[in-house]
Amino acid sequence: MRHINIGRPENQRRDLVIVAVLLIFSWPLTGLDSSQALGLTRLLRSTVLAPFLAADAAYERRAALAIRTAQLEADRDALYLRLQIATDLERENRELRAQLSLPDRRPGSFIVAELVPGRPSIGDSHTFLLRNESLMGIEVPTGVSVPGGIVGVLRSTSGGTGLGEFWTHPDFRVSVRSATGGATGIVRSIAGEGGGTLMLVEGVPYQARMAEGAMLETAGLGGVFPPGIEVGTVIAEADSRSGWSHSYLVEPAVQPGTVRAATAWDRSGTEPVPAPPDTSAPNLNGSEQGEEAGVGGF
Amino acid sequence: MEGSRRGWSPDAVVVVALVILHFTLYRFLVRWPVMPSFLIGGLLLAALRLRAGYAAFLGFSLGVLEAAMALVGLGTISIVLTVVGYLAARSRDLLFADARYYVFIYLFAGTWASEMLLMLAMPGGPGILGGLVLAPVSALGTAVVCGAAERLAAAFRRP
Repeated sequence: MRHINIGRPENQRRDLVIVAVLLIFSWPLTGLDSSQALGLTRLLRSTVLAPFLAADAAYERRAALAIRTAQLEADRDALYLRLQIATDLERENRELRAQLSLPDRRPGSFIVAELVPGRPSIGDSHTFLLRNESLMGIEVPTGVSVPGGIVGVLRSTSGGTGLGEFWTHPDFRVSVRSATGGATGIVRSIAGEGGGTLMLVEGVPYQARMAEGAMLETAGLGGVFPPGIEVGTVIAEADSRSGWSHSYLVEPAVQPGTVRAATAWDRSGTEPVPAPPDTSAPNLNGSEQGEEAGVGGF
Repeated sequence: MEGSRRGWSPDAVVVVALVILHFTLYRFLVRWPVMPSFLIGGLLLAALRLRAGYAAFLGFSLGVLEAAMALVGLGTISIVLTVVGYLAARSRDLLFADARYYVFIYLFAGTWASEMLLMLAMPGGPGILGGLVLAPVSALGTAVVCGAAERLAAAFRRP
């Protein structure tokens, strides 16, 4: 190897200055929040990294073509059936609301977008990009989901690109209720014993219980997620603070690694879900179909 | 790099090829915990030919690109690769450049140190155990592949 001479003191001083400037410039990057980091990430991904990302996307499309075609056909059939049922339900709901003199439902709309998961070579990534021009101007934070359940939360947008966090992110929280509406709590991620990530629902009122196999869905409190999106299934009780609350381990409905397209909730024009009444008094009538013994609120 | 006035030197071509290879094969390289790191190998080879300040700048630039690809660790990766670039360039003064296996040992030690730093610094990384078990295997692969690429460049470089 031939080497250039770097031993001169003035060169060494200049190199040290360059390194110091770079480190000073790099240090604030460690503390950038998602919206600030998204600008730089988006710029690089749309310019320097664009050819690599395009090649990667082309490979993925080609590799998964046969599997995805079969899956899409199955999804189409399932969606067709659900659409038929939903159409009837929608009509019934409209008629019932009219009879009760309630205003029309305004659940907001959903924007379907391509989801690109973060893939670091070392460490875990809990972040993803969402890409769709319609994301421009969407109110954040907002929930991201697939028909099977909750995926994460969109934290910031820049143009038609959004940066979000999967539910596996340590900061992720969502208010949930059991599908029968009997018990409520707050879900966060927790490391499973086998190395995977599970969910933990905390703050379930002491009088309320969740049975194994009980399905949890979003409560819609706080306005980040629409109500009624599946979150997971209760596996077992994790902890009980005597006289205060229970916590339960939850098997997530969706594993983030498998998602390539998701919907972001555009809540513009919707009204916030009112907080449930405080019904933390013991339910003397017993459980609802044996699932929850008592009713909770928070 | 030397020779840039007459066009691309073989060393520059190898470094650029390794970086392109890294981002092209990114999907496969991140799938397993132990894989050669063409990015760190390319940076270390470039640091052999660049002044320390320029090597640090190259490390910073590659770190920002890597973080944009991974969607995580924007500051952490750029800091680590900046330091690695600088120290790699400065290490030439300390090592015997004429030793037979100089480049191989340099690539192995440099990659191991870099991956160790990243494993300790990155959130959710495998930590010290990963640095002692996974990183040496990855460094060995990097040293073999990038060392072979450097020998290839050396063959073209000879008059």
